[in-house]
Amino acid sequence: MNSRRASYTLGFGVALLALLAGSVLAASWLSPDDPLAMNVGARLQQPSMEHWLGTDRFGRDILTRTLHGGQTTLISCGLALLSAVLIGLLLGALAGMFHGSLFDIALMRIIDVLLAFPFMVFAMVIAALFGTSLFHLLLAVVVVWWVGFARLTRSLVLQAKNSTTVDAARVLGTSKSVILFRELLPQAFGPVLVLATFELGNLILAIAALSFLGLGSQPPSPEWGSMLADGRAHFMTSPHVLLGPALWIILTVLAFNCIGEGLRDRIDPYEKARIG
Amino acid sequence: MKIAEDLKEKLRIERLEVAYRQEGAVQTALKSVDFTLHQGEILSLLGESGSGKSTIAKALLGLLSPSAIVRSGILSLSGQTPIDLSQPSKNWNGIRGREIAMLFQDARLALNPMMKIRDHFRETLLAHRLASKEQIRSISEQGLARLGFSDPSTVLNAYPHELSGGMCQRVCLALTLCLRPQVLIADEPTSALDTVNQREVLDLLQSLQRELGLSVLLITHDIALAEALSHRVLVLNEGHIVESGPTSQVLREPSHDYTRQLLSSRDLTSDAEASSSPDAASLLEIQELVKAYGSDRPTLSGVSMQLHAGEIIGILGQSGCGKSTLARCVVGLEQAESGSIRFQGQDITYAKGTARRRLARQIQLVFQDARASLNPRFSALELVQTPLHTFRVGDRKERLERARYLLEEVGITGAAQHRRPPQLSTGQCQRVAIARALALQPEVLICDEAVSALDMSVQAQILELLQRLHRQFGFSILMISHDVRVLRAFCHRIAVMHEGRFVEFLQGNRLSSGEHAHTRLLLHGAEELESL
Repeated sequence: MNSRRASYTLGFGVALLALLAGSVLAASWLSPDDPLAMNVGARLQQPSMEHWLGTDRFGRDILTRTLHGGQTTLISCGLALLSAVLIGLLLGALAGMFHGSLFDIALMRIIDVLLAFPFMVFAMVIAALFGTSLFHLLLAVVVVWWVGFARLTRSLVLQAKNSTTVDAARVLGTSKSVILFRELLPQAFGPVLVLATFELGNLILAIAALSFLGLGSQPPSPEWGSMLADGRAHFMTSPHVLLGPALWIILTVLAFNCIGEGLRDRIDPYEKARIG
Repeated sequence: MKIAEDLKEKLRIERLEVAYRQEGAVQTALKSVDFTLHQGEILSLLGESGSGKSTIAKALLGLLSPSAIVRSGILSLSGQTPIDLSQPSKNWNGIRGREIAMLFQDARLALNPMMKIRDHFRETLLAHRLASKEQIRSISEQGLARLGFSDPSTVLNAYPHELSGGMCQRVCLALTLCLRPQVLIADEPTSALDTVNQREVLDLLQSLQRELGLSVLLITHDIALAEALSHRVLVLNEGHIVESGPTSQVLREPSHDYTRQLLSSRDLTSDAEASSSPDAASLLEIQELVKAYGSDRPTLSGVSMQLHAGEIIGILGQSGCGKSTLARCVVGLEQAESGSIRFQGQDITYAKGTARRRLARQIQLVFQDARASLNPRFSALELVQTPLHTFRVGDRKERLERARYLLEEVGITGAAQHRRPPQLSTGQCQRVAIARALALQPEVLICDEAVSALDMSVQAQILELLQRLHRQFGFSILMISHDVRVLRAFCHRIAVMHEGRFVEFLQGNRLSSGEHAHTRLLLHGAEELESL
């Protein structure tokens, strides 16, 4: 019964994500207008047949900008997350494998420091040092974001290390690297994947928040967070300017959370055992 | 053991049919099971794993997993309206514990590790409103005293992990009995215990049953246990009750083929050739091995032995005596503190890295829990090829051939070779594990309780298989077990282990001549169960 509900959640998440990603990737086909084309005569127009979500303060079509901006947001978030997951998996697995070694201890202390450091402040420091651009913002995100994955991977590897499967592999003369890749890492994949889907939602929000502060992609190129920042000045009089980016952010985060929840129920070994 | 015919009916189950949903398909677990349990009777439910024994127990308490479908079934308890098990009921709390109590297989898992024994009693008594807060202490102390605890207040202050398996089971029994249930379901209550603890729990169960006039439904795969304790026996096979009747009748003159088959698997055939030890060079030599975990009394305190080429040595001992630690030291999963292990004259006690890995070709270990030792992501065929691949034996095609050959030797044929451990039975998993251990043609095979988790008939099959492979390939075997029966049928020599040292070495066929007090205790426990 539960598994059925889980797969509905997963299906809904995947379908919603496909829809959003499709709309974003096909942006130039769905909405052939130029996202940068200004038309000062048509500024801050209400939603109409011509501009479905209205126009912003420079008369740019908000729907077009939302769809085009999504490309930047989704691709950069995906890349940042992928790098964070890979770094986290590798370092976490090594730390778990060589538990108690100098490397493990040093890594854990670095993680403690990074966890204690507010992420926003860290991003601002990077921006101040290297200048404001989307690349530097992503760099800041990756530097901070891998720690969660490393912690999780390390604990999963530590747990798997004492299992009979690993003992059996050792008795069979298997080398350490093979044990790491064949016995330990596969056990970490599932939970890390689930964490990643939940984190992607957070990541989009964080990048949007930083872009809102002006630290991410720079005008005039569209990006969901910076579009929100842009519309801030006018939303008392024309609230529709926030509708496009806000809607897409909410739906994307919802899609990823559904996927994460569905995957968790599917991967959880207890749930699996209960179903049979 | 007789009981009067006119005894009151305590519990009756009619037309119980249960099925499980499994990956889309529905599998029938029980097909129209009927039986009655009388006042003061011990009724054994005898069957192998997968026969549906535990499903019956769970159905009686409404504890079936959500994937189970109860098609029909009426449960009648004396003096109560019958319950239709196919309908969801809200009244289980009045029945569980008070009317029908349950004793689980692994008492340690049944107890909450975060709670002291005292809190278990408090929770149980308060939940059923059987005692006021002031009375709890005295009631629980009395309950424990009745189960042979000489110092109940210490036990009450202990956490489950501080008690032995046998003590935990006695605590569970005390907990169930303090509710004064009418019917007790004991689901394999002693199969997780060693012979000595087993006897203790069974003696108590029997005497308390008589004293309190309890009706007991004993679920077991152990024929000796059913024979020793029960008045009547039900034999269950694939969800059917194939035979039922008084214990002596069913087990002495079985009328059904399945019962006969079950009974014959009990007598392990002794290998004629196995009774004399071969005169060969010493292969594995262990001297004064010491291993201590932490500061406590050492797990191994000076163990010495010699294993000759082609010899089968049994190591007999209670759980916790250090048998498994010895095995783990030999294969390098643990490091001994002092002493030496020599293989073919070479000191391997502290072998590490490549030297240790190379030893895998000579010394192999088969684990007790075969399923846990196999990576669930690979098929049987891939699992057996893995060690060959590790040591670059032959090319890809030869490795595949060899894996096929080995799996066929252990009786895994056809499509089963492509199945992964979750899709194989426990016995099949053990066969795959043996095939994998033999892939590198080791000279010493260590079997750490390799058959003790298996059903009797599967046990006999695996032991026969090991004997045949031993004759065919000529490796030496170090057979670790707590089961006298298994070792007696199988080993040239038997070393009896007690508290981290060997107390006696005996010829396999002269086990009963053992003189050491502990040997006698182990033998006594085993014989008592068999002779009753």
